[in-house]
Amino acid sequence: MYSAKELETSDTLMFFDILVSGLTAGSLYCLVAVSFNILYQPTKVFNFAQGDLVMLGSMGSALLLTQWNWPWWVALLAVMVAVGVLTLVEEWMAVAPVLSRHSHGTGWIITTLAVAMIISNVVGKVWGVEPIVVPAPLPLSNDMLNLEGINISSYQIALILLTLALVFGVDWLYHSLWGKAALAVAEDRDAALLRGIDPAAISRWSFAFGGAFAALTGYLASPVLSASTTLGGILLLKGFAAAAIGGLGSTRGALAAGYMLGVAEAACSVWLSPGYHNTVILILVLSVLLVRPGGLVSSLEARTV
Amino acid sequence: MALVLLPLLFNGQFILFMATQALVMMLVAIGLNLLTGYAGQVSIGHGALVGLGAYTTALLMKDLQWSFWLSALAGIFVACGTGLIMALPALRLSTWYFALVTLTFAQVVTDLLVEWRSLTHGFSGVVGIPAPSLNGHILSPVQVYLTLVVCVVLVFLATRQLVNSRFGRGMVAARDNPLAASASGVSLWRIKLLAFAMSAGIAGLAGAFYAVQKTVITPEDFSTDFSIFFLLCIVVGGQGKLLGPVVGTLAFFLLPELLGPLQSWRLLIYGVLLLILMLFAPQGLMGLPFFKRWQKRVIVDVDIQFDSAISLKPVKNLDLTIKDLHKHFDGVKALQGCSLFVKAGRIHALIGPNGSGKTTTLNAISGFIRPDSGQVMIGTTDVSSLSPYQVAQHGVGRTFQTPKLLGDMSVLDNVRLGGFMNEHATAFEVVLNLPRVRSDDLASKVQALELLKFVGLSSRAEELAGELPHGQQRLVEIARALAGRPALLLLDEPAAGLSMSELDRLAELIEAISKHGTAVLIVEHHLGLIARISQSVTVFDRGQVLAEGSVKEVFKNPEVARAYMGREGTGDSM
Repeated sequence: MYSAKELETSDTLMFFDILVSGLTAGSLYCLVAVSFNILYQPTKVFNFAQGDLVMLGSMGSALLLTQWNWPWWVALLAVMVAVGVLTLVEEWMAVAPVLSRHSHGTGWIITTLAVAMIISNVVGKVWGVEPIVVPAPLPLSNDMLNLEGINISSYQIALILLTLALVFGVDWLYHSLWGKAALAVAEDRDAALLRGIDPAAISRWSFAFGGAFAALTGYLASPVLSASTTLGGILLLKGFAAAAIGGLGSTRGALAAGYMLGVAEAACSVWLSPGYHNTVILILVLSVLLVRPGGLVSSLEARTV
Repeated sequence: MALVLLPLLFNGQFILFMATQALVMMLVAIGLNLLTGYAGQVSIGHGALVGLGAYTTALLMKDLQWSFWLSALAGIFVACGTGLIMALPALRLSTWYFALVTLTFAQVVTDLLVEWRSLTHGFSGVVGIPAPSLNGHILSPVQVYLTLVVCVVLVFLATRQLVNSRFGRGMVAARDNPLAASASGVSLWRIKLLAFAMSAGIAGLAGAFYAVQKTVITPEDFSTDFSIFFLLCIVVGGQGKLLGPVVGTLAFFLLPELLGPLQSWRLLIYGVLLLILMLFAPQGLMGLPFFKRWQKRVIVDVDIQFDSAISLKPVKNLDLTIKDLHKHFDGVKALQGCSLFVKAGRIHALIGPNGSGKTTTLNAISGFIRPDSGQVMIGTTDVSSLSPYQVAQHGVGRTFQTPKLLGDMSVLDNVRLGGFMNEHATAFEVVLNLPRVRSDDLASKVQALELLKFVGLSSRAEELAGELPHGQQRLVEIARALAGRPALLLLDEPAAGLSMSELDRLAELIEAISKHGTAVLIVEHHLGLIARISQSVTVFDRGQVLAEGSVKEVFKNPEVARAYMGREGTGDSM
């Protein structure tokens, strides 16, 4: 029925579809992972509420854009500030008290999990479960362009490029003095104190920055994923997977891992079924971490006494 | 007892239904408490394990007409087995990685329950699960309830047995001080696996009862929220306390009644409650002063007539040989070809300025660091590539620069932790409380008391280790290390922070230890102590051996003086 040439092109088309889909989703997972990393660096706390912070950014901006018709840059700024402040509150309420009690404890797992529950349930109560469809900000659009037979929208191109820019931007930031201070606090809080670095302040700023970054990610995600209250749980898992596979604290690792996950997911949707997404992620996470416990981009040394 | 039979007095279907539900939850909570409360591994996936047990039971009973008892057994195995597939790799990772993996696992289970609809009936779930029957007689709800009561009691007793045994001590150590655990011969991975396997099996059993009680199960019943309920139960009741899950589940069940019109907000309220509890009452209900009095403190019979045959086990006589050790950390050459020899039963000191590689050497010997090249031989076995718990099992005990004790456990239990590898009852035997368990228990207690007497702390045996002053904590740590009957004892700066009289005691103690046959390698800065007790000394400087020999020879060596005090200090300048 189909000529060999037609079959060949349809295979290539499918390959590119998977690639485009994978890189787009992967970019978003990478950004979520980066926001995890920003919080994790100075505090060694993995924020279980991070997925819901992204969701807030997404829902918040969606509402501002579609319901109140705010210009895109105002909406973006507003959610970044709002979520940044909220994350500061989270740090003050749910993280700092637990860390001050046992600096190596894991009570924050449960407290940040509780915050996640609170956020998602409040939003759920206020808005409900209906997803909000958000158009891409002009002059970009979600319409598929046909470039040399590849189906990709201008928004997707912009998203992928912007992610690369953000990743390298954050990387550069961490090579600056401020970034080095954050890393110093992670290594040894007391030593950092002795050098005039205030660990508590760095932690707070990191939380605020990470929260704002999460909101940005949510804003960027809504034209692609459509804003809904269930986004939080989904992104927690996928963001964790990207961060863990890439190597905690590594932005470039998050990029590689994000792409890997995105493409694996897209391929899974085509060849198996969307119901296997999480299974694929679980298998990927466990296999990578078994071979390289520190993730793809790392050299983990055994803990010394 | 009365509490349990109470629901039967109220002649109401609803009360019985609720009571049965509560007991199912309590069962899961008891298991989760073992994993999260005692072993410290937070799991957000136990709802899925319950689901696996429930679905296995339901499908076997409905589609294959198996009896409830066999289906429940199958449910336990499926929950445990599937959980282990996830846990075997995941428990090698850090605690919060594990938590997220369990979360993902729970999601995967729900996804697959829907995806494999030809097996599981998909979204609509399994309907019309038959009631359990025994010898052809179908059990009434009251009889199901009573069966469940028996199960809960048995599981509680089994858990209590485990918690009070060496496994319980090992789990708490793995949670609070993994280094202390490894140094005492506890394999962190295996002990966490044990806790996981038990909690998963218990969850599977609970799932079986869940299925027959509700008669309809769907994938949505076992969502993440369900898993979080169990966390809430153990946090409310008190993590790591035996009665915690019992009290917590009961409290949790009273909640919806108290909430009344706020029912639809209950998930939000649970979240807020979890946060508030963790912040202000992390010890839960059982941590309240009122309940603390209920908990038995270890009443130690200090007057036990020691049968001299039981007391201290003899130690093996083994030499320590280190050949040409190299270790670098990203550019810092910590060890550059060090060699050392300690004859069995002798006291050897390792001294040198800060940063010379002394602690690195101790870490390399005890397995906390893997050397880049070189050999560490205990007797004739090369232990350089073994992990810390394996090295401990080869007869190495050690103390740390700052004492690593379990502050919330009694001094006696801290010392008993050290004897972990010398008790031989398996977990299975422990749970069933077989005779070997009781003799192990007695022997361990007696030995620990002997060791406390040896270091002079028997009067403090029942106090919490965290309440002891620094010098005494050191002695407890030494007693713990000795409980493993090591052929080689590594002491890392034991004199630090000790008063004059404590130093005297320490010197006598170390000499007595050596007389009992244990070789001692002591890293120290206190040259007076070294001069008094060591038979031979090695001096390190910047990762290399500077000098070795008897104390006199080494102290006379000008190179050694220069290394410690610099050129000016020895009058050697210009």
